[in-house]
Amino acid sequence: MSAAQAQIVRRGLFEGYDTGSFYDEMFSAPNQPRPHYAKIFQKLAALAPAQFEERRKLADLSFFLQGITFTVYSDGRGTERLFPFDLIPRILPNSEWQKIDAGLSQRVVALNLFLQDIYGKQCILKDRQIPTSLVYSCKHFHREMIGVEVPRGIYTHICGIDLVRDSKSGEFYVLEDNVRTPSGISYVLENRLVMTRTFPDAFEAHEVQPVNHYPAELCRILRSLSPRGAEAQIVLLTPGIYNSAYFEHSFLAQQMGVELVEGRDLVVDGGVVFMKTIRGLKQVDVIYRRVDDEFLDSLCFRSDSLLGVPGLVAAYRAGNVALANAIGNGVADDKAIYAYVPAFIKYYLGEEPILNTVKTYLCHKPDECKYVLEHLEELVVKDVGESGGYGMLIGPASDRARIEEFRQRIRANPRTYIAQPVIPLSRVPSYDATTGRVVGCHVDLRPYCLYDGEKVTIVPGGLTRVALQYGSLVVNSSQGGGSKDTWVLRGEN
Amino acid sequence: MLSRIADSMFWLARYFERAEDTARILDVTYHTLLEQAEHPYRLRWEPLIAMAGEENRFRQLYGEANAHNVFEFLAFNPDNPSSIVQCITKARENARTMRDRISREMWEDINGFYFVVTRFNAAEEIAAGPHRFCEKIKFGSHRFHGVTDATLPHDDGWEFLRIGWSLERAEMTARLVDVQYHDLLDPNGTTAAPGNHQWMAVLKSVGAYEAYHRQYHSSIEPELVAEMLILNHQHPRSIRFSIQEVQAGLRAISGTGPGAYANEAERLAGKVLERLRYDTVGEIFKQGLHKYLRELSRMSAAIGEDIARTYFYYEVVA
Repeated sequence: MSAAQAQIVRRGLFEGYDTGSFYDEMFSAPNQPRPHYAKIFQKLAALAPAQFEERRKLADLSFFLQGITFTVYSDGRGTERLFPFDLIPRILPNSEWQKIDAGLSQRVVALNLFLQDIYGKQCILKDRQIPTSLVYSCKHFHREMIGVEVPRGIYTHICGIDLVRDSKSGEFYVLEDNVRTPSGISYVLENRLVMTRTFPDAFEAHEVQPVNHYPAELCRILRSLSPRGAEAQIVLLTPGIYNSAYFEHSFLAQQMGVELVEGRDLVVDGGVVFMKTIRGLKQVDVIYRRVDDEFLDSLCFRSDSLLGVPGLVAAYRAGNVALANAIGNGVADDKAIYAYVPAFIKYYLGEEPILNTVKTYLCHKPDECKYVLEHLEELVVKDVGESGGYGMLIGPASDRARIEEFRQRIRANPRTYIAQPVIPLSRVPSYDATTGRVVGCHVDLRPYCLYDGEKVTIVPGGLTRVALQYGSLVVNSSQGGGSKDTWVLRGEN
Repeated sequence: MLSRIADSMFWLARYFERAEDTARILDVTYHTLLEQAEHPYRLRWEPLIAMAGEENRFRQLYGEANAHNVFEFLAFNPDNPSSIVQCITKARENARTMRDRISREMWEDINGFYFVVTRFNAAEEIAAGPHRFCEKIKFGSHRFHGVTDATLPHDDGWEFLRIGWSLERAEMTARLVDVQYHDLLDPNGTTAAPGNHQWMAVLKSVGAYEAYHRQYHSSIEPELVAEMLILNHQHPRSIRFSIQEVQAGLRAISGTGPGAYANEAERLAGKVLERLRYDTVGEIFKQGLHKYLRELSRMSAAIGEDIARTYFYYEVVA
């Protein structure tokens, strides 16, 4: 860096920026941007904080007008909040992405084979690669699905696999597979749109791989599932406007040109699903459902559910309607099953896993449970059936009472818990409106994988979620997290 | 088109129209009152409350009507389901349940308008008088019509919108004329002195003041004003024009040609429209304006119910 540039940096957004002891996605050393960040750093560093602030407000306004908000129910009335968007992009060079892409594809195929097997011949249980009791005790394992032939053998049409970069090794680790109804893809597409509108000059120097083919690809896969062939009536089933991901449901329906329906719009007659239109009942072939298994059909699962369609599971089992994702995928999301995914990859594909998984202690194993109980202060403990940051203990950040509470819980229900070492997440510089400067904030990465039974298509990048509360490790939107546009470059910089 | 979406289209349009009509009436009445300081008893506030059909609720909340509490009640009050802010809130709620079906421009416009309307400082607006506020509502509604017309395919969804705002407008105009005439005619049936400002207020509230002069080249005659608002076949806010629109929308959806009907809603719309075509204002006054308008309101409500039965909530035998 020249003396003049250094001068600019000292006065600009990056004044006093500290990479800390973490892997910084932008800098390899203080004031030393990585090659793939060099150009954007120059641009950002040259901006006065006021100019940056102006663009940030423009971006916020754009999200607000489009109603890209989620609803927080704290005062009984429900208030709408923006999912905060940080303008500084998260950038990955192509070579790094290629490895992630290969690793995720491998994982998705293996997970699909596992689900086919578990609800089919159960070879993996017979070969004793994974304990039968572990699988059968999964909260989201559904016996109703055993022996059901799902359309084209696909269970995991859409996966949103969470990755994090470990600050120590600089390598990516898989954190969760999310093979049920992962959300967030709409933010990927909207973030990119807003970014190109408010920061067009940032794209000038880079060749960024596009993301907007996602809806078309998803629609193609949904269409291919139709039991009636080309005559496919596709719908997206949403729990309704009070669901926090409602924006995404309507967004995807609009982008794909399919009908957005609620449970009350559908009716099952003679094992066939219909929707109520102004011209009478119309047969439905494919349902991209964003309603959880347990709420899908009050005749089969929770009888108090009003979100689903009575008789839907019977229609599905009869092969008259296709569902994406399949019912019963939750077994693969179980955090204890997670520990066995590398074994699935070897068992089903005969390959070595490309991506790392986090060391996982299974509390139902007495020796591992003993270790966990002795090291609670330094571990993250998770409820195997939960997602979204609920039911978690972050040892180093918890007080004695909370740790003791989890100790009791683990002792009472060891099968319900797993533990993992704390991973120091990598950071990306992010704008702090209160100081007008950037600070390092922890990020994860959720790429969205689409599987058509033959190949896995992954939109380059995915959703980078960022813990905008300085120092926080929790990136969930319900816990104050935000997001960034994620760029995969065509080349290395 | 899903029945639920058709239902939402219909109500999205109705709520927007209700907000606009309420704003129009509020604005004009308020300013007429200012000019009529010497006859405050003539154009009182009660008719506005009667128009909204919320007399009981109003009395419970405020007791006696005055300029401030009527404005507060009709524009902002969250306990008045027909207040302007409530109408826009419900319109936006309906839009939100089908934002995949309406155009992106429509959604951004409705959503942006909602944030403007819900963030008004009620106390400040009340102090400033209703004109500024009502103008914003009117333009917001006009923009909604414009954006919708220019960006939404004119398919079934658009027809349900058209039916929604037209039916609402027919009902609101009927109520407006009924309430105002009821108040303006003295008990023995003769009208108040000609040239008074109240008739002008009625015309202005539906934006028909200039059109009236072009049509009749005369001073303001109560019977002619009624003719204009009820029977005119070209003015977009007259009852006849609105019912024509309802019929056209219904026919576009069912594909029915002239002289026939496919459902009860179409039969009623046709029946009402025939009367509006061939009745004269003299006949109407002879049989009693109040009775005539009440009947029109009742028929409009019945058309709305039949549309719901035919397209939104029909029985499904499964």
